[in-house]
Amino acid sequence: MQILEFILSPLMALVIGILFLGLSRKIMARIHWRYGPPLAQPLIDIIRLFSQRSISHGRLFSAGLVFALAGSVVLILFLPIGRIAPLSGSGGLLVILYMMLLSPLGMALSGGQAANPNTSIGISRKLLLTLGYEVPFVLILLAVMTHFETISIVGIVERQQQTGWALFTSSLCIPGIAYLLILPAILGIRPFEMVKAAQEIASGPMVEYGGQFLALATIQHALSEFIGIALFVNLFLGGAGNPLIFFIKMLVVFSLGLFVNAALPRLRIEQAIRYLWRWPTLIAFVGLIVVLIIRR
Amino acid sequence: MDRNQLIKWLKAPVKMSHKYSLHAVYFCTGCGIIEVPPVITARWDAERFGVLPVATPRQANLFLITGYVSVKTLRAIIRTYEQMPVPNYTVGFGSCPINGGMYWDSYNTIKHLDKYIPIDGWIAGCMPRPEAIFVAVTHLWTLIDKDMADGYKRYRKHYRLYRANQERVLGKLEWPPLYPIEERDERRTQEKAVVDVQ
Amino acid sequence: MNDALRKKLSSTFSDLQITAAGDGDTSITVPKGSLMSLLSFLKSQGYEHLGLISCVDWVEQKEFELIYIVSAYMSRDHEHGEQERSSIIVKTRISREEPRFLTVIPVYGNAEPYERELHELFGIHFEGHPRLIPLLLEREYPVPPFRKDFDTRKYVKEVFDSVPSLEDPEE
Repeated sequence: MQILEFILSPLMALVIGILFLGLSRKIMARIHWRYGPPLAQPLIDIIRLFSQRSISHGRLFSAGLVFALAGSVVLILFLPIGRIAPLSGSGGLLVILYMMLLSPLGMALSGGQAANPNTSIGISRKLLLTLGYEVPFVLILLAVMTHFETISIVGIVERQQQTGWALFTSSLCIPGIAYLLILPAILGIRPFEMVKAAQEIASGPMVEYGGQFLALATIQHALSEFIGIALFVNLFLGGAGNPLIFFIKMLVVFSLGLFVNAALPRLRIEQAIRYLWRWPTLIAFVGLIVVLIIRR
Repeated sequence: MDRNQLIKWLKAPVKMSHKYSLHAVYFCTGCGIIEVPPVITARWDAERFGVLPVATPRQANLFLITGYVSVKTLRAIIRTYEQMPVPNYTVGFGSCPINGGMYWDSYNTIKHLDKYIPIDGWIAGCMPRPEAIFVAVTHLWTLIDKDMADGYKRYRKHYRLYRANQERVLGKLEWPPLYPIEERDERRTQEKAVVDVQ
Repeated sequence: MNDALRKKLSSTFSDLQITAAGDGDTSITVPKGSLMSLLSFLKSQGYEHLGLISCVDWVEQKEFELIYIVSAYMSRDHEHGEQERSSIIVKTRISREEPRFLTVIPVYGNAEPYERELHELFGIHFEGHPRLIPLLLEREYPVPPFRKDFDTRKYVKEVFDSVPSLEDPEE
């Protein structure tokens, strides 16, 4: 049974991640008043990319990408999806905090060997953006850990099954609002799309990826989106008893992110960091203080 | 099912994915590029066909050469084409790559593009309308189904001849050959020696 | 152009021909010796923008005619009010057998790419030009391609049509 959960959890995350990619293209197309590609289009893209012979720039190029993908896949094992939580007792939120940094570092490693200036600009933007959203993110996680007095995500989900969704029923609404404000930065959608800006820097870190490398990079992107939204649903929206309701909650949050993506333009990296270190950090800090006071 | 049919059935998803996921490298040659933004935006939506513009040749599948090709542009086209991963498909757009078009007697444009890189299909017109582009995409699907869109295979097979033509027009090329070119003269002299002896 | 400028021009230079070109423009024809002083004078009168340097190939008369288009769109005085919307076209002729001329970069600094273009397309050598290298073309031509005695169809047949087609390639 345990072994089954180890295989099932990343598999479900992969399927749902690719479905969300397809949904994002379809919903964006409908917002633009046009029909979009079929829902399975990212799957067709990935199959085609796997069948192309791609050109590698060296061992570190391939290794960095595999490193980033492995970081995302292992992180899925620590997140409960409904009742399926393979590595539930080991570390919880602290592990999430430091393993979320593996994907940008892996991409930076592989981008260092692709000798393309667009890659360097994209990687510098990606790492700066990570630095930008890590500050309010740590404050939010501290507030959550203080309120629930545990670092285990499964424990947090079980508490919320009894007391109700944390976003609406407790003082965690303030860090929850801060999380919603930095969610586009974690997902890499507009207004924080400067990392993969196709028109400016020819798709940033992914400019030298072709064929199989691009397939892996797309899968890694899908998984990192999954992780960002699943964390929010687990911590603030009560998780779920079974995976179906979990995915419905994820769909609602994802649609909100898509509407923001469709409406806003792209910020510059210094504007993004100025924003991320100002309002979400302030709100998360105030939320942390409120949680501390109310607990006393 | 015998073995060939089984292999065909197993490879069917791959062929389907080559058809329905054509990512075009956004290489803006000549006049025809003005016809591409209306095709890929909301009015004549090309994304429902699976056609999407991408920024770099390494991520691309389809190469549209959208207008007249001067000698300098040919240099850039060859460099871009050789960076694309195989299998890829090239389409000549407009009448200038076909036979020179309006610039048939110009001192600086090349006239038949398929002497220098392999082309899978042409779209006639000056400029073709967006509806013509969609008809061309569906024709390309039919060609891919019948395994007739084999430009990349021809490029590999006859690379010696393509490179000879390229060097004839561009002079010495700065980049090394994409596929190794073996020397054919020794084989010919050996055959001649055998014939003489007999 | 207004009469004040016309009077100044006639008094300073003696060998001009001033005619009216279309659209309110004026055209001045000078022999090549006084071109530089005329351009410096026009620049001092407010015609600070060089729009184009072009060339006409008179094959029978064996001459090139160089054409400089200057305009005064930047001046704001009331005196130059009419000149704001008109340009002056300065023409001069040089010999076709040995086409050499002086560069006008000391007067108008932006003449550099125009003279490079004329050098590669007509074969005119501009003395004093810092960078007389090809601007647009990559190849060497037997005759500079914009001259009227360059046979473009013969050139195309020799160079581009003779490249072997790869429809049925040999093995």
